[in-house]
Amino acid sequence: MHRNNLLAIGAAALVSVGFVACGSDDKSSDGGSSTTSGASTPATLNGAGSTFAAPLYSEWGSKLKEQDITVNYQPVGSGAGIAQLAQGTVDFAGSDPALTPEDVKTLTKGTPVQIPIAFGAITASYNVDGVEAGLKLDGATLADIFLGTVKKWNDPAIAKLNDGVTLPDTAITVVHRSDSSGTTKGFTQFLAAYSPTWNDGPGVDKDIKWPVGTGAKGNDGVAAAVKQTDGAIGYVEQAYALQNNFTFADVKNKSGAFVAPTLESTTAAGAGIDVPKDLGISVIDSPNPEAYPIASQTFAISYDDLCKAGMSKANAAGYVAFLDYALGEGQNVAKELSYAPLPDDVKTPAQAAVDALTCNGAPAKG
Amino acid sequence: MSTTAILPTISKRRRRADMLARGTLGFFTAIALVPLGLIIYYLLSKGLGAWSWDFFTTDPTGSFLGTQGGIKSAILGTLEMVALATIIAVPIGIGVAIYLVEFGQTSRFAAIVRYFVDVMTGVPSIVFGLFIYTTLVVAGTGGSSFAGWKGSLALALLMLPVITRSGEVVLQLVPQSLREAALALGTPRWVVTMKVVVRTAIPGLVTGSLLAVARAMGETAPLLFTVAVVNGTTFNLNERMNSLPIQIFQDVGQANDQLVERAWGAALTLVVLILILTLVARLISRRSQFS
Amino acid sequence: MEASAIKARLTAPLGERSGRARAADPAFKWLLTGLAALILVLIAFFFFFLAGKAEPAFSKFGVLGFIFDNDWNVSKSIYGALPLLVGTLITSVLALVIGVPVAVATALFVTEMCPARFKSPLTVLIELLAAVPSVVYGLWGIFVLVPFLKEPSQWFADTFDFLPFVGGTVAGPNYFIAGLILAIMILPIVSAISREVMATVPTDHKEAALALGATRWEMIKTAVLPYSRRGITGAAMLGLGRAIGETIAVVLVIGNSPTIGKQIFDQGYSLAAVIANEFGEAANDPLHSSALIAAGLVLFVLTLVVNALARWVVTRAEKKNGKAFTGSTITAQTPIATVVSES
Repeated sequence: MHRNNLLAIGAAALVSVGFVACGSDDKSSDGGSSTTSGASTPATLNGAGSTFAAPLYSEWGSKLKEQDITVNYQPVGSGAGIAQLAQGTVDFAGSDPALTPEDVKTLTKGTPVQIPIAFGAITASYNVDGVEAGLKLDGATLADIFLGTVKKWNDPAIAKLNDGVTLPDTAITVVHRSDSSGTTKGFTQFLAAYSPTWNDGPGVDKDIKWPVGTGAKGNDGVAAAVKQTDGAIGYVEQAYALQNNFTFADVKNKSGAFVAPTLESTTAAGAGIDVPKDLGISVIDSPNPEAYPIASQTFAISYDDLCKAGMSKANAAGYVAFLDYALGEGQNVAKELSYAPLPDDVKTPAQAAVDALTCNGAPAKG
Repeated sequence: MSTTAILPTISKRRRRADMLARGTLGFFTAIALVPLGLIIYYLLSKGLGAWSWDFFTTDPTGSFLGTQGGIKSAILGTLEMVALATIIAVPIGIGVAIYLVEFGQTSRFAAIVRYFVDVMTGVPSIVFGLFIYTTLVVAGTGGSSFAGWKGSLALALLMLPVITRSGEVVLQLVPQSLREAALALGTPRWVVTMKVVVRTAIPGLVTGSLLAVARAMGETAPLLFTVAVVNGTTFNLNERMNSLPIQIFQDVGQANDQLVERAWGAALTLVVLILILTLVARLISRRSQFS
Repeated sequence: MEASAIKARLTAPLGERSGRARAADPAFKWLLTGLAALILVLIAFFFFFLAGKAEPAFSKFGVLGFIFDNDWNVSKSIYGALPLLVGTLITSVLALVIGVPVAVATALFVTEMCPARFKSPLTVLIELLAAVPSVVYGLWGIFVLVPFLKEPSQWFADTFDFLPFVGGTVAGPNYFIAGLILAIMILPIVSAISREVMATVPTDHKEAALALGATRWEMIKTAVLPYSRRGITGAAMLGLGRAIGETIAVVLVIGNSPTIGKQIFDQGYSLAAVIANEFGEAANDPLHSSALIAAGLVLFVLTLVVNALARWVVTRAEKKNGKAFTGSTITAQTPIATVVSES
C-alpha cells in the first residue's frame, strides 16, 4: 500500500509539473497582442554564428520583440554559422571576417550579401593576482605568449614593456578557442602582422592548431576559463570582458602607441577605412594613431534574393526590418555594449545594400 | 589427531595483514562514496538557490545583459523528445526481446541478433548522434534540418538495446510451466505470448523501460547534432527544440554567474527527474515476484 | 472443483480455439522476426553508411595514416588523429588505474565484509553514481574538481616529477581530471559486474578456507580473487569501453588541445570530444566532416572490439566458475601452509 501511494504521488507530481508549465504558456516569445510598429506581420528569424557579435544580436533581438520580430540566434562561432547558412539551416549567419572566396563557393542559394553591423574590440584579458589593468603588450610579445615561448608573467619580454610594474613568478596559462571562430581569425591576423614565427607557424585562420593552451567554446567559454584560472590570458570580445570585470592589456598599435580598448579607440579603428564594393572591410591593425589595433568588424550575412534562398515573404520583410534597425537605432544600443557604431562611409553603402535586398525579384521591405 | 596440532593459531603478522587489508577495503569503499556525497552536496547547495517559480515557468531569454530567464523550454523539450523516443523504442525493444526468448532459442539468426543487440549497448551515444546527423539532418528529411523527432530517434537507438537486454532477462524468468499449461489448453501461440508470458513479465519490462528512459533523459551527445538549441518553447517536434542536457551544456561554459547558477539549477532538476524515474522503476521491480 | 466449473474454465476466452486466431500465429511470428531483423539491418546500414562517408578522409590519408599521423590541423586541412587517439587512451587508462581498484574494493567489501543490513543501501548508493548524467559530471568537474585539485596536483607534480609523465604546470583542465571523472563514471558498472562475478564463487571454497583457519582477508585472497580474476578483468574492460566513448564530461575537462601532452597534467583531446566540438563548422567542408566521421568510425570500432573482448572474458569466467565446483583444488587435506602464506 505504501509503495502504491509513492507511485501515485510520483506520477501526480510529474503530471502537475507538466500542467503548470504548459499553463503559463502565455509568456512565450512570439505571438501575443503586442503593439506593432514597423513590420506588421510576425516574423521569426533563425541566425547562427559569431559569438563576438552574440551580445549585440541578443540585445537587438529583445528590443525587436516589440516589432513582432523574433530573432533566434545561436552563438556557435563564425565558421559554424557560415556552414549552417550554406546548409540552409539558418536564415542569416553572423561572421566577423569578411567572406573569403572559399566561403562564397559554398553559399549556393544565391549571391551572398554581407552587411557590416558594428565594430568591437578583441581584448587581451588576463587574470593574474597582483597585476592591474593596463599591462602593456605588443604583437610580438603576445605572439610569443601564445606560441608558448614566453612561459611566465615575469618574463623579460613582458617586463621590458612594463617598466616599474612588479610581475609575479606565475606561469602563463593560455586560453584559446576550440571552435571555428572569427575572433580567432582577427586575433591571429594581428599576431601574424608582428610575428613571422606566428605567420609561418599556426598562421591566420578561424580554426588553427594552437601550440599551447586550453581550448574553450565561444567567447563566453574563453571568458569563463580566464575567470577560473589564475595566471590565464585569453582573447575575449570586450562586451564579455566588461561584463566580468576583466583586466585587459593596452596593446601597441601600428603607430607605436599603447592603446586601451575603449569605445573611442574602437571607433577610431573604423575611421577612414577602405570600403570595397562587396562591403568586405577589415579594421584589424588600423594605422590610425588613436586606434585600438585588435579591433574587429562583424557582418550579418545572407543572400540577395531572400525568398529564393528559402525565407518566407514575412520573414524576408522581418529580416530587412531587423537590418534597418541594426543600422539605425541599433547603433546606439551597440554603444551601450561598447561596440563602436559604423562611420558614415561604411553605413551608407551598407544601408544601400539592405535596401537592395529582394524577395523573388520584388523589394523585400514589408 | 588433535585439531590444535593441525591448525596453528593465527599469528600476529597474519592478523595485522588481515586488519590492514580489511581496513583498506573499507577505506576504498568510503572513497567511492565521496564523489557521490560531493556531487549531491554541490548540486543542492548551488542548484537549490536557482530554483524558483520563475525558474520553471520562463524560457531562457538568451539576452546578454539583463535577466537570463529560466528553463521552461528545456524541461518541456526533454519531456516531449524522451516521450517520443519511448514510444518508438519500447514496442520495438520488447518485440525483439519477445522474439529472442519465444522463437529464437536455437536459431542462428537469433544468436546473431542477440550479439548485435549486445554490440549496440556498447556504442557511444555520440556515434548514434552522428548516424542520425549524417542520414537525416543533412538530408533535411521531413522538411527541416534540426528537429525534435530526429533527436528522439537518436535517443530511441540508445534505449533500444537496453530495453531488449533487460526484457530478455525478465521474459526468460517466466516459468516454462506457465507457457506449457496455456498451450496445453489449446491457446494459439501468440495469445500465450502476449496474454500469459508478457502479462506476467510486465513489472520487469516496465522497470527495464523506465531505466532506459532515465538514461535517455540525461544524454547530451545525441542531441548536439540533431536538435540544435532554441530558447523558446515549442510543441512542434518537427522544429528545433531545447532540452535540459543541452541547456546545461550551453550554460556550463559561460562566464556570466547567472548562467552558471542556472546550469546548476537545471542540473539539479535533471538529476531529480532521473532519480524519480529510477525510484519508480525499482519500486515496480520489487513488487514483481521475479525481481 | 465442480465439473461444470472446470468446463467453464476450459472454454473460457483464454483464446479462441478457432482457426482464425491460430492463423494469426505465423503473422505474429513474422512481425517479431521482422523487428529483430530491423536491428540487424539498422546496424549494418549505419556502419556502411558511416564508412562510406568516412572514405574520402581514409583515401586521402590512408587508413593507417589517418589513425597514426600526429597532426590534427583544421586550417591546413590535415587530419591525423593520433593526438585524439592517444588522448582517448590516456584518459581511459587513467580511469582504469584509478577506478578499477576502488570498484573491486567496494565489490569485495559488499560481498565479503559488509554486515547484511548495509549491503542493500551500499549497493544502491554506488549505483546512484550511474544515475548522474555525464553533463552534470562535467559541470561538477569544472566548478568543483578543477579548482579543488589544482594546488594538490601542482604539489604532486612538483614533488614527484622524477616519475615519468609527471611534472610541469597544472593549468586547469587536463588529462588527469578527465581520467578521474571517467573513473568515477565507470565505478558503478565495474563494481556491479565484479559483485555478480564474486557472487558466483562457490560458497564451499570460501567455507573450506575459513574452516581451515584462514583469516577473512586470506580467504578472499585464496578463494574469491583467483576465481573472480577473469570476471573482474571483463568488468574492467567493459568499464574501459564506457570510458572510451564518453563525450560530454571529457570535452568539458580535457582542455581541447590537439597536441599530445607530455604529462598527465597537460591539456589534450579525445576522439569523441573533437567530434562534439568541430562538427558544426565541418558541415560544409567535405574533407573535414569526412575526417570527423572517420574519427567516429574509429571510436565505434574501438568500443566494439573492447566490448566484444570484455564479454568473451566475462562469459568464460562465469562458465569456469560453474565448473569449479567439481574441479576444486582446495580440499580438507591441503596443509594450511600452502593455503595461507606464513613468514
